[in-house]
Amino acid sequence: MAGQSDPHISLFSAEEVEFMAEDELIEIVPNMRMDPLNFICGDFGPFLPQIATPVPLWLAVALKKRGKCAIRPPLWMSVEKLTQVLEGERDSQGAFQALPFHYVEISRLLFDHARDDIPDMYMVRSLIEDIRDVRVHKVETSLEKFSGTSAVKIPNLSAMEVNIIRPFVGRALQAFYKHDNPEKIPDVDRASSGQTRVANNEPRRPLRR
Amino acid sequence: MASGAGEWSTAQMDDYETLISTTDVELLKRAWRNEKAAPEILPFEEALVKRAKEQIQLMEETVDEFAESGHDPLIASLYQMDLDRAQFLLRSYLRVRLQKIEKFMFYIWKSDAYRHRLSTEEEKFGERCIRDIGKHLEETVLSKLPDNYQSLLKQSIISEEDDMVPEPQLDTFVVAKCQRATRPLFLDGSRQSAGFDNRDDHFQMVPGDLCILRYRPFQEELMSGNISLV
Amino acid sequence: MHGRKAYELVKEFASGEKGHLKIFNNELFERVIEECNEHHNALQSLIRKMQEEGLEVLTARTADHYGALIHHLSLIRNKRCLMAYVYNRADIIRDLAWKVGLLHELPREIQEKFSDSEEQYFKDHSKSLKSYMSQLSLNVNVDMVPPKDPYIKVRVLEDLGSGIILSDKSANFARHSMHFLKRTDAEQYIARGLMEELTS
Repeated sequence: MAGQSDPHISLFSAEEVEFMAEDELIEIVPNMRMDPLNFICGDFGPFLPQIATPVPLWLAVALKKRGKCAIRPPLWMSVEKLTQVLEGERDSQGAFQALPFHYVEISRLLFDHARDDIPDMYMVRSLIEDIRDVRVHKVETSLEKFSGTSAVKIPNLSAMEVNIIRPFVGRALQAFYKHDNPEKIPDVDRASSGQTRVANNEPRRPLRR
Repeated sequence: MASGAGEWSTAQMDDYETLISTTDVELLKRAWRNEKAAPEILPFEEALVKRAKEQIQLMEETVDEFAESGHDPLIASLYQMDLDRAQFLLRSYLRVRLQKIEKFMFYIWKSDAYRHRLSTEEEKFGERCIRDIGKHLEETVLSKLPDNYQSLLKQSIISEEDDMVPEPQLDTFVVAKCQRATRPLFLDGSRQSAGFDNRDDHFQMVPGDLCILRYRPFQEELMSGNISLV
Repeated sequence: MHGRKAYELVKEFASGEKGHLKIFNNELFERVIEECNEHHNALQSLIRKMQEEGLEVLTARTADHYGALIHHLSLIRNKRCLMAYVYNRADIIRDLAWKVGLLHELPREIQEKFSDSEEQYFKDHSKSLKSYMSQLSLNVNVDMVPPKDPYIKVRVLEDLGSGIILSDKSANFARHSMHFLKRTDAEQYIARGLMEELTS
C-alpha cells in the first residue's frame, strides 16, 4: 500500500478514471414519472415521460439498466462529428482536437449499456477507436517538445491519454530538469528513496522501477 | 458536459464546472485527486470532511428509512448508489493521506508546517507510526550496530543533516487543470522556457488549460485553488 | 569484497515477487551485522595507530587515514543496506496490516516469513490503524475500489423454482427467466453456474 516503489500511490486506476467520468452530465429521456432526486452530489429531475433532463452518467446508466429511460448520446458522438475530428487529428501533427476530457470512458460506458440508443453504433465505435489510436501515437511523438521545461501546456488531452503519458513524461521531464539543473537536484533517485537506496554508486536503471 | 443541446465546447465545460463545483462531493473529489497526485501531503480539508461526513450520515438514515418503509426499491437503490459514491470518495481521500503519512512520517515530523497540515487523528496516527517503526528498526538493526552508527535519521554521528529520511520529490511533474487564472510565473529565471507554445520567460494559465508542470513552483497555485491536479 | 553480503541481502529482497515477502534471511542479515562490527574494529585500531604515531586523525592524509575512511564508508553502506532490507519489508507488512490485519490473524504461511520483531510490528501497526479508525468512527479499509451499481441483471440457467428468498425479494427463478438482483445476492448463484450476469 505504501510501497516506496509503488507508483500507484499517486496514479489513478482505470476504475477510478471511470468513476470520475461517471459524474459527467448526460441527457436522458425517461419513460416514467419520478420525483426529483436530492442526492449528496446534487439535485436531479423531476422525471417525466418524454421530457429530456440532464443527469450524471452513472445515474443515466442505472436507469437505463432498469429499463426506465433512453440515453441521448452527446452530439460529439455522431458519425459526422467524429469523422471531422478524425480528419482534424490526422491533419495536424502537434495539436489535438477538442473532445471531452473523458471521451474514452463516456463512449465505452454508452457502448456497454446503451447501444440501442446510439445511431450507427458500430461506425461510431470504430471512429472513436481510430481517433484514440491516432492521438496516442501523436502523444508519443510529441514528447520531444517537452525538453528543458518546468511547464508544458497540453491542450485537449483526455484523461485516458494523460494517464498513459503521466508515468513516462513525468519521469522524462524530471530527467531533463535534473540534467539542466544538476545543482538543484544533486541526485533525484537518492532523494526519492532516501533510506531505501542502497548506495550512491550503484548502476541505476531509472526507467525500470 | 452539456451534451443534449448545442455543441460541446470549452466554454460550456467551464460553465458546467462552476455549476457543479458548488457541491461538496465535487470539492471532495477535487481534494481527493489533488491528494492522490501531489507528491507531498496537502493541508487537511477539515471543514469539507466534516460537512461530507454529516451529509453521508443523513443519507444513511434516509436509505435506512427507505428500506424499513418498503419504499420503491428503484428509488432506494439510486440513493444507495449516490451514498456509495460519496463514501468511496471520503474513505479514499483519508486513505491516501494515511498512506502518505506512513511513507513520509519522519519527514513530516521534522517541520511544524507539515505537521499542521494533519488532522488531530492523523497526527496521533503518525506519532504511533513513528513509534512502531522506530522500535522495529531499533530492535532489528540499530541496536546491533556500533555506537556511532545507531541513529535512525543519520548515517553516523558525523552526518550533519538527517541523511536517512525519505523525502517527497517536489520536483516531480504533475498534470494540472486551471480553475482560475494563475498569476504569471517566472520559472527558474531565464533558462527555463515555459512550454512549446509559449517561449516567453513567464508562464500563465487560464481556466480550462491543461498542463504538465513541475510541482514545486506551482505549490502555491495548488493550495490557493487556482489549479487542481488530475 | 566490502559490502558484497549487504548487496546480496538487498538484491534478495528486490528479486522477490512484488508485494510478497520471502522468509527473513537471518543468517545473511547477522553476517552483515558482524561485518559492520569488523569494520568498526578495524577503523578503531587504525585510529589508535595514528594517535600513537602522533598524527591528527581527521587531517593527516596518510594511508591509514584513507584506510579508516574506507572502513567507515563500508560500514555506512552496510547500514543503509540493512535498513533498506528491513524498511522495505516493513512497507509490505504495513500493506498486510491494511488488508488483513484489521480483520483477522495472518495465515501461517505468511507469518512464517516474519522475524519476531516484524511480527510485533505487524500487530502494532494494525493497532495504530484501528485506533485511527475508532477515533474517526469510520472504517477506511473498505471501499478500496470505486463502487459499482449494487444491482445486476442476471439470467437463470437452471430451474431454481420459487423456493429462494433473497434479501429484498423473492420470485420464481424459472430457467431462462431474467431478474434484476443485488450483486451480493446473485454472486453465489453465478459462482455455482446457476445464473449468468447480463451486460446491456
